Amino acid sequence: MTTTLAGGRAARRQTMRRIRPRRSPAVPLLLAVWAGAAAVLWLWWHNTPSIADQNGKILNAGRITGLLAGYLMALVVLQMARVPALERRVGSDRVARWHAMSGRYTLCLVFAHVFLIMWGYALQAGKTLNDIVQQTIDSVNQLPDMGKAAIGTGLFVVIGLTSIGPVRRRMPYDTWYHVHLLTYAAVFLTFWHQITTGNDFALTPMAKTFWYGLYGVVTALVVWYRILTPIRLNLRHRMRVEAVIEETPGIVSVLIGGRKLHRMGAEAGQFFRWRFMAPGMRFSSHPYSLSAAPRPDMLRITVKAIGDHSARLRELRPGTKVWAEGPYGAMTASRRSRGKVLLVAGGVGITPMRALFETLPGAAGDLTLLYRANTTQDLALWDELAKIANERGARLMYAVNSPEGERPDISAENLQRKIPDIDNHDVFMCGPPGFAQGVYEALRGAGVPARRIHHESFEM
Amino acid sequence: MRKSHPIRRVVLATAATVSGVVLLLSLKPSSDPASASAAGAASSAAAAGQESPQGGTGAAGATTVDGDATQTQYGVVQVRLTVANGKIAQAQAIQAPKGGTSDQKTALSVPQLNKETVAAQSANIDSVSGATYTSTGYKQSLQSALDKLKEAAASSSSGSSSSSGSSSSSGSAQAQAKTVTGQVAQTQYGPVQVRITVSGGKITKAEAVQAPSGGTSDQKTALSVPKLNQEAVAAGNASIDSVSGATYTSTGYKQSLQSALDQAGG
Repeated sequence: MTTTLAGGRAARRQTMRRIRPRRSPAVPLLLAVWAGAAAVLWLWWHNTPSIADQNGKILNAGRITGLLAGYLMALVVLQMARVPALERRVGSDRVARWHAMSGRYTLCLVFAHVFLIMWGYALQAGKTLNDIVQQTIDSVNQLPDMGKAAIGTGLFVVIGLTSIGPVRRRMPYDTWYHVHLLTYAAVFLTFWHQITTGNDFALTPMAKTFWYGLYGVVTALVVWYRILTPIRLNLRHRMRVEAVIEETPGIVSVLIGGRKLHRMGAEAGQFFRWRFMAPGMRFSSHPYSLSAAPRPDMLRITVKAIGDHSARLRELRPGTKVWAEGPYGAMTASRRSRGKVLLVAGGVGITPMRALFETLPGAAGDLTLLYRANTTQDLALWDELAKIANERGARLMYAVNSPEGERPDISAENLQRKIPDIDNHDVFMCGPPGFAQGVYEALRGAGVPARRIHHESFEM
Repeated sequence: MRKSHPIRRVVLATAATVSGVVLLLSLKPSSDPASASAAGAASSAAAAGQESPQGGTGAAGATTVDGDATQTQYGVVQVRLTVANGKIAQAQAIQAPKGGTSDQKTALSVPQLNKETVAAQSANIDSVSGATYTSTGYKQSLQSALDKLKEAAASSSSGSSSSSGSSSSSGSAQAQAKTVTGQVAQTQYGPVQVRITVSGGKITKAEAVQAPSGGTSDQKTALSVPKLNQEAVAAGNASIDSVSGATYTSTGYKQSLQSALDQAGG
């Protein structure tokens, strides 16, 4: 008995030595973004000694919004460049939310900029706000690169409209996605008028250099990480569908074989964007988490048939070529800061949890998995989980609706009763948004600090 | 996982942006204090110019020398130095870019360049950042003024300097009709040069002997030049309205017109 205890302690010490929580670079990155915005405002401040009248105020407001929009536009594109530091350290979900937020804000700045500048020019030419349309036509015809900028702005209008929540939800994902790709064209088209007509770039040649630098770096990152990196990955690993297995009604696992898959550096808890080269599926890629620790010859994803795409997965034939991009996602073992870990899965959210349950280092009793599903039949992968729990000495709990359909009560009190030292755990969580929100609040109520609740959500 | 409040976020972002922009705008002075003094300097320079149209008169040991008029992207810069006891006592710009943001830049840079010149006693002065073109033009004109001073000193000693600026030396007024061609004004889209016919002290005809061409410039030139010609005849001076949509051409036109008027007026 004493020896096992000592062994347990030694093993725990061993585990703790491997835990080096990596801080997310979000805070320094945000500081850099604000510093850049301040530099852009300073550029305007420096080049504007005084503002004579109302007209000058309107024009200068247009310049400020234009400069900020040009600056942010580069960052909005950068956020979707799949830069590993963003995807794997900050987290793909968080970056996607930043992208959506800053994209909307930037488009508003663009439209404000167009309106203010054209209003200002109309006043300067001795006309009024009513002539703004004519003024816009004149400016587009007469100023350099304004034709391109006008087309780009038109694209931005379309991209903005299709990204408004209700519109987007009514559109097929693929349509929205391909419209969204036009952003690159729009950014390219609107870039040139900034350089050729921008007051501050004419006055400060250095600023022009920085602007080219900013957009050049973003372009290079997009080309590298969105195009070249995936090409290299897929040429090297040559992935194909090995088998499709029905886990429970409506949930299938896809086994994917390939060469030297361990060299991709994927970790449990991460996902890839998958594109299956089968009819009707090759034109869109979808993010699915690995549902088992990656093996050198095999990866596995487990997917619930909810959309068109996931329903078609069932019909995949072995041998179908697979194009994957990744690995992405920050919900990995490196987020952990404590010896003890609670994993919470809601429904098909079990997939990354299953992989983490298998691989997170820990002594017996360190790991607990709480699995929520509607019925016991819906507990996909249950047999595997039970086996892992048995081998590792980990706790496995499930919560399902009662036969009368009553929902289980996952409250702070219940969590504390089941796991008395819950406030000393790291919590990894994956599940539908409502479920995740409820569990998050219960965990906070039970004394788990927010920084130790690791959650990934792809809801905007 | 904190609850998101989209509407609150939109309101906050809008309010923060609008108030930030308004704050920035309101922190800027409505007119630069330097611009008033620059205007003063310019008018006194003009007055001095009238008193000594030949550019270089010596009064009580002080000599004024005008540098060459230097073309910059935004207009002409010309420097006048007042030299007393072998030292630069005063530096002024008798021509500097005008119009649009150029007014601001001139107001910002010229007083500083003047000061630097007196302090440095040479053309080896720092450019004013944000007004690089003006500064470069200023330094060129300043150097030519200094060169003239040196020449005058070398050819030596006739007391009053004989050097004069290139723009102030040409043509004396005649009663008959005469045509005067202004200097070429560089614009973003190409050079503009104006020729005027002056008769009885009035502009009877104005035409552009050079104007931007090619691409949309053809349309703009066709649109603006006839109008500018008319305005020049009507106004009799260079303070004419720009043709909207052809601002650069108009500005260049006015510059060249002004230089033609300067020459015609002697």
